[in-house]
Amino acid sequence: MAATAALSTRLRNRRPALNAFRKAVTRKPGRLIGLGIILFFVLLAICGPWFYGSLAVDPNAIYAAPSADHWLGTDFAGSDVFQEVVVGARYVLSTAALAALFTSVLGITVGLLAGYHRGFLDSALMRVTDFVLTIPGLPLLIILSTVWSFGSPWQMGLVLGLTGWGGVARAVRSQALTLRERGFLEAARGLGLPSRHIIVKELLPNIAPYVAMHLLLSVIAFIGAEVGLFFLGLVPFSSTNWGVMLNQAVFSGGAMNSPDALVYLLSPLVCILLLTLGIVLFLDAIDELFNPRLRERA
Amino acid sequence: MSRQRTLVAGLAAAVALTALSACSSSAKKTNNGDGGGAKKDGGVYTSIDANYQITAGAPMNPFNSSPNMFLGYDQMRLGFDKYNPLDPNDLFPGLAASWTATDTGLTVQLQPNAKWSDGTPVTVADIKTSLAIAYTQGTAGPVAGAGGTIVQGTNFEVSDVKDLGGGKIEIDQLPGVKNLYFQRLVLSATIVNDKVYSPQLPADIWTQIAAVQGPDPAAAKAAADKLSAEGKTIAAFAPAKDVSAGPFVLTRVGPGEALLDRNQYFFAVDKVAPKQVILRHYTGNQQIWGFLTNGELDSSPYTSMPTNIADQVVKAGYTRTDAPSYVSASIAFNEKQAPYNNTAVRQALAYVIDRDAVTKVGEPVGGIAAPYTTGLIGSQTDAFLSSDQKSALNAYKPDPAKAASLLQGAGFTKDGAGQWHLPDGSPWTITLQTVNGFSDWIAASTIVANELTAFGIKTTPAITADFATYQKEMGAGKYAVGWWLTALGPQTDKAYNRIYGAADGFSVVNGKATHSDTSPANWFHTPATYTVNGQTIDPGQLTADLSVTPVADQKPIIAQLAAATNQELPMIQIWNYTKVGFFTEKHFTNFPKTGSDALLLNPPGVWMMQGYIQAK
Repeated sequence: MAATAALSTRLRNRRPALNAFRKAVTRKPGRLIGLGIILFFVLLAICGPWFYGSLAVDPNAIYAAPSADHWLGTDFAGSDVFQEVVVGARYVLSTAALAALFTSVLGITVGLLAGYHRGFLDSALMRVTDFVLTIPGLPLLIILSTVWSFGSPWQMGLVLGLTGWGGVARAVRSQALTLRERGFLEAARGLGLPSRHIIVKELLPNIAPYVAMHLLLSVIAFIGAEVGLFFLGLVPFSSTNWGVMLNQAVFSGGAMNSPDALVYLLSPLVCILLLTLGIVLFLDAIDELFNPRLRERA
Repeated sequence: MSRQRTLVAGLAAAVALTALSACSSSAKKTNNGDGGGAKKDGGVYTSIDANYQITAGAPMNPFNSSPNMFLGYDQMRLGFDKYNPLDPNDLFPGLAASWTATDTGLTVQLQPNAKWSDGTPVTVADIKTSLAIAYTQGTAGPVAGAGGTIVQGTNFEVSDVKDLGGGKIEIDQLPGVKNLYFQRLVLSATIVNDKVYSPQLPADIWTQIAAVQGPDPAAAKAAADKLSAEGKTIAAFAPAKDVSAGPFVLTRVGPGEALLDRNQYFFAVDKVAPKQVILRHYTGNQQIWGFLTNGELDSSPYTSMPTNIADQVVKAGYTRTDAPSYVSASIAFNEKQAPYNNTAVRQALAYVIDRDAVTKVGEPVGGIAAPYTTGLIGSQTDAFLSSDQKSALNAYKPDPAKAASLLQGAGFTKDGAGQWHLPDGSPWTITLQTVNGFSDWIAASTIVANELTAFGIKTTPAITADFATYQKEMGAGKYAVGWWLTALGPQTDKAYNRIYGAADGFSVVNGKATHSDTSPANWFHTPATYTVNGQTIDPGQLTADLSVTPVADQKPIIAQLAAATNQELPMIQIWNYTKVGFFTEKHFTNFPKTGSDALLLNPPGVWMMQGYIQAK
C-alpha cells in the first residue's frame, strides 16, 4: 500500500517533466519529425538485424537496379542494399552512442571536478585534458587497427570516446567555474553540504542542458568519424555497416564512374543525412526544454 | 564543429565528383592540344605505369624502391621476357639485337645503333657495370640455401664480361653453376649508363663478386655484406638527369604525371610514333577507372575492376585485351590446425565452394574460375598435362551431397538446425582471413562465407590490417584458413615452390630437399610426403628437381605434383587472374590485341620498340 502511494507520488512528480517534454516536442512540427527520425533509426538498429540476420547473396544479380524484390537494388555480391542499410545501422548507432556515452561521462566528471575544486586538482586534470586533446584520434585508430579488428562497436566506441572527451571536459569546467560563484552554490557550501552532493545534486542538473545537447551533437560527430574511417579504408572491417557500404560502393563498385552502384552509395549517405537532420531538428526541442528563457518566450 | 563534420561527410561525394570532372577536362585539353595525338609525326601517348606510381622528387634511378624510371620507356634491358611457359628463355630484343647461348654462358650482339640519350654509344662497360650492380641488389649471386652450385632460377651468376668487338659481348656464367634460366635472367637485367653509375661503385667491385663466388665462406659472407651495403648506396643515388637508352627520356616529373620525350638517339627511333609520353599518377584503381571512363588514357595496364566499370570503359571507346596472368587466388589451409589436417575436410570444402559464383563477385573481369586445383594456372595445366592426366583430375564441381558424405565419413555430424559439428561434438566454425585493401578477396570472402554458412559451417570473413601483417601472422600460423596467391609462374618451379617451398617447411641444399615441420617459415604444415595413385611422392624434392629440369623434360614431374596437389588440396584454387587491359585508337593505331600474350605482358614502351603504336 505504501509502495503504491510512493509510486503515484513519483509519477505525479514526474508528470510535469513529461508534460514539458511533450509540449516542447509538439510545439513545432519539425521537432516532432526530428524525434520520429531518431526513433525510427533507433528501432532500426535494435530490431533490424532480427529481421535480416544474414544477408543473402546472389552472384547473378550484382548491382541490380531497384525493384519490388530489392527496393534499393543490390550490391557487389547481389545482396539487398535495403537489408544492408538496416543491418548496418546497429553498428553505426551503437558505436556513436557508446562513444558519446564515454565522452560525456569522462568529460563531465573531469570538467565538474576540475571546475568545482579548482587548485591543484584543476591543474592536474586540465593537463591530462590537454594531453588527451593532443592525441590525434585518426592515426591512433589506424595504429590500433593492427591489433583490433574493430568488429565490435565497443572497441570503436571506446577509442572514439577516449580520444574525444577533452573538449567536453574543458567546456564543462568553464560552466562549473561560473556556476560555483552563484548564490545557490555558495548557500550549499555555507550549509556544509558535502562536495559530492553539491556536484551531483546542484552542479550537474544545471549543466544538464549542455550535456544533453552535447550528447546529441557528439553522436553526429562520431557517426561522421566512424563512417569516414571505414569509407577511407583506414580500418579493416569484418561486418556490414554504412561506412563499409560507402567504401565498397566507391572503391569496389566504382560509384563515381558508373551509375550502377550509385544507389548503393547514396543509401547509407541518405541515412546519415536523415539522422543528422533528425538530431538537429530535435535539438531545438531539447534547447527549449532546458532553457527557461526559451520556455517563457514560447 | 559537429555540424561541419557531418556536412563534410554529406558533401564528400559531390566534391569528389567535381574534382574528377575538373581533372578530366584539363587532361582532355592536354591531349587534344598536342595535335590530338593523331599527327603522323607523333603526338602525346598517355598511360599509367603499372610498376610504380609517380613520385615527385624521387630519383631517376631504377634501383630505387620508388624510382622515376619507367620500364620500356627510359629503363632498358638487353631483352624483354615473353613469359612463355614452354620456353623460359624466349625474349623480345631490347638493347641486344640477338644472342646465342653457349656452354659457358651467353654471347650477345648489341643493337648496331644502340645509344644513350646523350648521344654516346652503349658499350660493354655499360653492360659490365649493370651486371655488377645486380650483385649489389640481390638479383645476382648465390641463392641462400642452394649451396651456391644450384641456382633456382631467381639469380644469375656471372664470372666475366668480355668485349669481343663489333658490339659483341661474351657473358660467362660462373663455372659449376647450373642455371636453366641464365639467359633470361642476364638479358632481363636493368642496363644503366656506366659513366653515371660506375662512380658509385668501388673500383674492386669484381674482386668482391669473385670473393662472394669463392670457396671461402667467411670471405664470401664479408664480401656479400659489403655488396649489400654498396647496394643501398646505389639505390639511394639520384642522378642529375635521365640518361636513357630507351625510346624515351624523362623530361619532367610533377605530382600528377611524368613527361617523357622521344629519345632521338634511340636505336629504333623510326619505329616510335609518339613524340611524348605522359604517365599519370594514381593512388588507387578507382582513379584509373576515372581516367578510362573519361577517355584520358591511350592504354591502361591491368587494373582490377567490376563488370559495370569494364562496361563503362568499353562504352567510352576502349577495346579490351586479355592475356594470361600467371597468378591464382587460392584459399589455403594451415594443416597444423584441426580439422584442416584431414584431406577429406579440405576436399569437402572444395565441393561446397562454388568457384564460378565466387569469381563472379570477387574478380568478375580479371579472373577466370580455376578449372582445377593443380598448383598451376589453367593454361599451364593444359600445356603440361596430357588429356588423360587432366581427365583424372578432380574438378570439385559444387556437390553438397558429396561434401556431406566426406564429412560424415570423417566423423563429422550435422544437428537438427543444419549446423555441422566436429568429431569431438563442438560446432564447426571457420574464420576466413583476408587483407584490408584487397577488394577482390574481401568481396569473394563474402560469397565463400555465405556458401559455407548455408551448408552448415558458420563462416566469418576477418580482415587483417595490411599485407605485411597478414604475411607475418600467416607465417606465424595464426590463421587456419586464409587467402593466398599461388601458381606464380610462368616458371613452374616457382609456382610449386610457392606451395612446396619454405612456406611448407622445405629447404633445398645441393639439390636435396629436406622437410621440417618446425621450420619458422612453415605455415602450410603439409606432410613431407604424399601417397598418390599408390605411389609415395616427395613434393619438396619434385619441386627442387623442377628447378634444374629443362622445360621440355618437366612434364612427368609436373604430372605428379599436379595430381598430388589436386588430391591433397593444400589450398583450393578459386580463380586464375587474367591480365585485362584497354586501349583506344583515338590517337594511335596498331595496338597489340588479345592473342599477343607476350606483348600484352610487357609495357607499351616495349610495344613501341617492336613497331607497334603508330600515329593515326
